[in-house]
Amino acid sequence: MNRRTWVLSFGAVILGLAATGGATWAGTVDRPAIRSAYSAPALYDLGNFYARAERPAMAVLNYERARILAPTDPDIQKNLSHVRESVGLPALQTGWLSQHGRLANPNTLYWIGVLGLAITGLTLVLRRARSKHRTLLAGGALVGGILMAVSLGDAIATASTLHEYVVMAATPARTSPTSAVEPLFTVPLAEAVHVQDQHRGFALIRDTQGREGWVARGDLAPVIPSQDTSTGAST
Amino acid sequence: MLAAMVAAGTLIASAMQVAEAAATQRIEPTQIGMGDSARLTIAASGSDASSISPPMVAGLEFLAVAQSQRIESINGVSSASTIVTYQVIPQESGVFTIPGAAPGLSPVVLTVNPSSGQGAAARGGSAAFPAPSARPSTLPAGSTHMTANGTAFVRLRLPKHELYVGETIPVDIQVGMRDGFVASLNGLPTLNGDAFTLNKLSSQPQRVEEIIDGRPYTVLTWHSALAAVKPGELALTIETPLTVRMRTAARPGAGFLGEGDLDDLFNDPMFQNFFGASTEKDLTVASAPTSFTVLALPAHDRPADFSGAVGSFSLSSDVSEEKVAAGDPVTLRLRISGTGNFDRVTTPMLHDVEHWKTYAPTAKFNAEDDIGHRGEKTFEQPLIATQPGMQSLPPLTFSWFDPNSRRYVVARSSPLNVAITGGTPASQGSSTASLAPAPSNQTSASPAGDRDDHGLRPDQMDIGSTTASLMPHYYQPAYIAAPSLLLAAFSGAWFWMRRREHITWAEAAQANEFPQTETLLASMEEALAARDTTRFFQAARSALQGALASQWQVDPASITLADVEARLGTSSVTARVFKLADEAAYARATLATADFQWWKQLVLREISNEAMS
Repeated sequence: MNRRTWVLSFGAVILGLAATGGATWAGTVDRPAIRSAYSAPALYDLGNFYARAERPAMAVLNYERARILAPTDPDIQKNLSHVRESVGLPALQTGWLSQHGRLANPNTLYWIGVLGLAITGLTLVLRRARSKHRTLLAGGALVGGILMAVSLGDAIATASTLHEYVVMAATPARTSPTSAVEPLFTVPLAEAVHVQDQHRGFALIRDTQGREGWVARGDLAPVIPSQDTSTGAST
Repeated sequence: MLAAMVAAGTLIASAMQVAEAAATQRIEPTQIGMGDSARLTIAASGSDASSISPPMVAGLEFLAVAQSQRIESINGVSSASTIVTYQVIPQESGVFTIPGAAPGLSPVVLTVNPSSGQGAAARGGSAAFPAPSARPSTLPAGSTHMTANGTAFVRLRLPKHELYVGETIPVDIQVGMRDGFVASLNGLPTLNGDAFTLNKLSSQPQRVEEIIDGRPYTVLTWHSALAAVKPGELALTIETPLTVRMRTAARPGAGFLGEGDLDDLFNDPMFQNFFGASTEKDLTVASAPTSFTVLALPAHDRPADFSGAVGSFSLSSDVSEEKVAAGDPVTLRLRISGTGNFDRVTTPMLHDVEHWKTYAPTAKFNAEDDIGHRGEKTFEQPLIATQPGMQSLPPLTFSWFDPNSRRYVVARSSPLNVAITGGTPASQGSSTASLAPAPSNQTSASPAGDRDDHGLRPDQMDIGSTTASLMPHYYQPAYIAAPSLLLAAFSGAWFWMRRREHITWAEAAQANEFPQTETLLASMEEALAARDTTRFFQAARSALQGALASQWQVDPASITLADVEARLGTSSVTARVFKLADEAAYARATLATADFQWWKQLVLREISNEAMS
């Protein structure tokens, strides 16, 4: 087998892995049954149920979860804003990257990034082999790089959700993780906060207004369920 | 304490009377109201006296207020009798069965009415926990899943186990607490499972007494409605937090005198009450997993205006006035009645009807049961005719999915006619306007139809793709491996190819396909001696090609003047040597001996520099 044949075979194998093998491999990682599976519409419907049942914290929690899987769904955005307004919370504030960097389901973008990596790697290897189509290969590398950049941007944008919690009951925020000190302020019901640290039943949070304080951990519910956080996809 | 002393004093006389009597247990009065208390008197003699223990009944608190003991010695034979009195304080209303506090004692029944005072007894029932006469459930009995020690259970009673997404089914949640062991219910039952929703539970469950395996249980029943939000083979459990009272082990009784006296003191119910001989433990009781088959609503034949209503409905419509003056409002009513998920029963009513001005409709639901599963939802829409004469209103439609027939149903009301007499006509044309806010017990529906009664966008019917975890793949170790493997594969391939090229070049050099530098330098010396300019520069160029090839990792023969000029510049020594070699080959130029030596030094220095770099 000469070098060119070897390179082409290698490229075919890599593309095959990215296009089809990856999906098959992912299927073995995902739960085979629908039980305990998450779906954006189901979470959205669950949020609607809780909104109708006048349980805004649970509604916001499920809308936030649905928003992870469907960041551009206008229904989720509208109903989340509606429920937040109904409990007196300010309008949703998201960073530039969260607003523009999230284009689709993060798991879809993950595979797009893997495909981009495969294309970029393959074109660079082919260029090393001194293929005659160097311009075409450069274009391929550029496309692959763009795909990787889109995926990377989404990964960075979704990183904030890892530490996002919803306040299930209005709770006082204090200067230290103990109930003995006077509260600084009260975090309202259904507010989405970021947990920065945890200590003995308390969590250091930052709310949408930039205020920080320690609140009781039991008054918070994680947007990404704890079992997902601790065990990843194998749960 | 004062009550204890008074009670103890009043009981000394009665203690004398029961010294030789059989064990008895009585409660006075048998009916009290909330805020009142009753007195439970337990009398036992002989060995039974040591086994008296404080009763435990969920919803009742027992406070030992008095104890008396009588000791007799007749003809050298000793006997003892004990009377213990408890103050019974109800924590909730209902009918309570207090089990025997010692072997051989019969249970007694205490009725606690919701209001204080004896007068309340006549009213019967309980506001908090309805009396056992409350309506029985029509649902099939569910399996009873006891805790390990048999103190409590939670069970579900369902009419069926196959349902559609969005369909609500009535459900009974029953929590059984064994009398004497469960101290309190610490919260309402909760659903354990994210695939189902449960209507809000009432704080007033039904209360009945039930005998299971010969043991008395107090069973609280909540009626609610259950719905599934996604399809699949699913299971759920119900959990309830309880506080169970656990007694510490009683020390075995000994003789009447001596060490046994100390044991009697420790086993004394009042002593145990005072010093906490019984401990309480919080635990969560869960029902047995209940399996469901949840079916997705079929996409085929789904009506365009389907709003997610699942159940069995019927509709009718009418108008408030069949004859009105022009400019006067008439109310169009649409009534949808039946059983199902009424929170999803919505309709946009009428829009853009010719000769009518339409206004935002309102909706009101009247439930016919306590779980909101059966009832009637009425939509009312004010309309104003814009022209006199007989004006007709088009039929209204409403669609739902019937789980029994497993198909979508589209119902259509009859068209209605309204006679409009002369008067002050409203502005011409058809339009939609806003009226004043709806009454507080009603909710308005958006005329556009994109919001429901609660101002929410409608539910999404298609469940879409699912994922096992909400954690994005980027942050899952198993998925991080995929790009890592790809990266490693490409890096490995790239380095392998580079190494392969190097080996190929080295092998070529080793196979003498290209002359060695030493050979070329020797050739330059020979050309210098022979004053052969052409051979001298060709040898010099070849020597420089060999040196550059080693550095550039390419084939020496492939290095051209263009490559050298591109990489080293047009005025570099190497480029000049390449040019002179070409010129010498074609022009046959000759050099002086000094020039040969000068060029030789330059070439040697270049080769040395290339080797160094």
